[in-house]
Amino acid sequence: MSLETIPIHAVPPAAGLSGNAPPLLHELHAMLRRLLDTGASSSIDLSALPLTPADLDWLRDKLGSGEIAVTLQANGESTLDETQCSGIWWVTHRNPQGAVVAQFIEVAFVPELLQAQPQDVEIGLDYLDSIRADL
Amino acid sequence: MQGPLIDSLTRQGITRRTFLKYCATLASMMALPPTAGRAMAEAMAAAKRPSVIWLPFQECTGCTESITRSHSPTIEGMIFDMISLDYQETLMAAAGFQAEEARHNAMKENAGKYLLIVDGSIPLAIDGAYSCIGGRSNVDILKEAAAGCAAIVAMGSCASYGGIPKANPNPTGAVSVADVIKDKPIVNIPGCPPIPVVMTGVLAHYLTFGALPELDDKGRPKAFFGDTIHDRCYRRPFYDQGKFAKTFDDEGARNGWCLFELGCKGPVTHNACATVKWNGGTSWPVESGHGCLGCSEPDFWDAGGFYKALSTPADPLRFAAAAAVVGAGAGVAVSFANRAKKDAAKTAHETTTLADLEK
Repeated sequence: MSLETIPIHAVPPAAGLSGNAPPLLHELHAMLRRLLDTGASSSIDLSALPLTPADLDWLRDKLGSGEIAVTLQANGESTLDETQCSGIWWVTHRNPQGAVVAQFIEVAFVPELLQAQPQDVEIGLDYLDSIRADL
Repeated sequence: MQGPLIDSLTRQGITRRTFLKYCATLASMMALPPTAGRAMAEAMAAAKRPSVIWLPFQECTGCTESITRSHSPTIEGMIFDMISLDYQETLMAAAGFQAEEARHNAMKENAGKYLLIVDGSIPLAIDGAYSCIGGRSNVDILKEAAAGCAAIVAMGSCASYGGIPKANPNPTGAVSVADVIKDKPIVNIPGCPPIPVVMTGVLAHYLTFGALPELDDKGRPKAFFGDTIHDRCYRRPFYDQGKFAKTFDDEGARNGWCLFELGCKGPVTHNACATVKWNGGTSWPVESGHGCLGCSEPDFWDAGGFYKALSTPADPLRFAAAAAVVGAGAGVAVSFANRAKKDAAKTAHETTTLADLEK
């Protein structure tokens, strides 16, 4: 039996806007300015803030979508989507069961998670060695 | 056996990138700043496997089940493999003198550095004779193991507060770890059973910052036990609107309204169930339609009936109006009135009967 067949509406009616989302745009403005001036990246942990689902939708809608949308398969799916403001990324982490476990807005030229990690590259190098040896 | 954590993870096919993601979500769950994820990844990757001695006392093994069967294979489970678990009666292959020798060796080799995990309460009646292992009482073994440890983690409500063994009339004289050990840092991770990720979070914090996380007045990590179930409950809007389920099969129950009047202890229970959930984020008690039992609070077993509503005003609007009429000047009177109410509530506590369940 799937959860959908249980006739209990577990999700409350859509909560309205709390007014907590607009100040984040000012914060993002300052973070983006810092990225340009100093190259320092930063991020906002959305699950740490009192935002309703409607707030998140509003924010996502205002930031729009950009040219890049990345899907990462690492212990569950993660999506790293560039917004209309280049340098601002909307990052959603899911667990292997598909539930959202963390949500961030990252301000960076490239989110750190997208870069190949030297340790992983070394493993790739070893792998290449092993298949070259089999040639 | 004592290599860095990241080497063991790599051997199990966990990439550095996956580990970074895991640390970012763990930092978020622990309400640490986003930059802490990076610091955590670096510190944990380089950390040596700490020696852990796990002592089970008066317990049901539910806490062990909760940790070891947390939706496998999770990184939680793998990190749990990464500690050097030198003594755990339920899991270890050794038995008898061999097992006791392993414990003594671990205690000697890692003196002052090992982490002690305790689940179950400690019986003190008739010199602790109610629960003995290898001919020695639990309290005796606990004192010996605690003497050389760096810190103690009290896993589950029994080790944290005495739990069900301590329930009235407490025939074995059960007490918590903190009642016996006074000179070591103790982290309580209550819950019946506790949430697995809290254990990993405490371990990660310990490895990253070399110290135990910030605790509340009941010795629980604030990051996970800072809010009440009620504060973070998705059914909270219904409470605020005054919409309550009155029975388990009425219209309110079918519409997923607030379970306050059916005895939900969410408003006085501090735990992370509402945000972290259970079974890999599938659901949690309130989402499945049953009120919170308050299992992460001291003496939850004796706190009235599970199906008796809490003795606080059910209507927040009426409560606010009453408070406004009383005014600020009458604060003393209010506190006296509350004390009277508290006493009344205490004397009114009743045992749960079948009739309660059918009301």
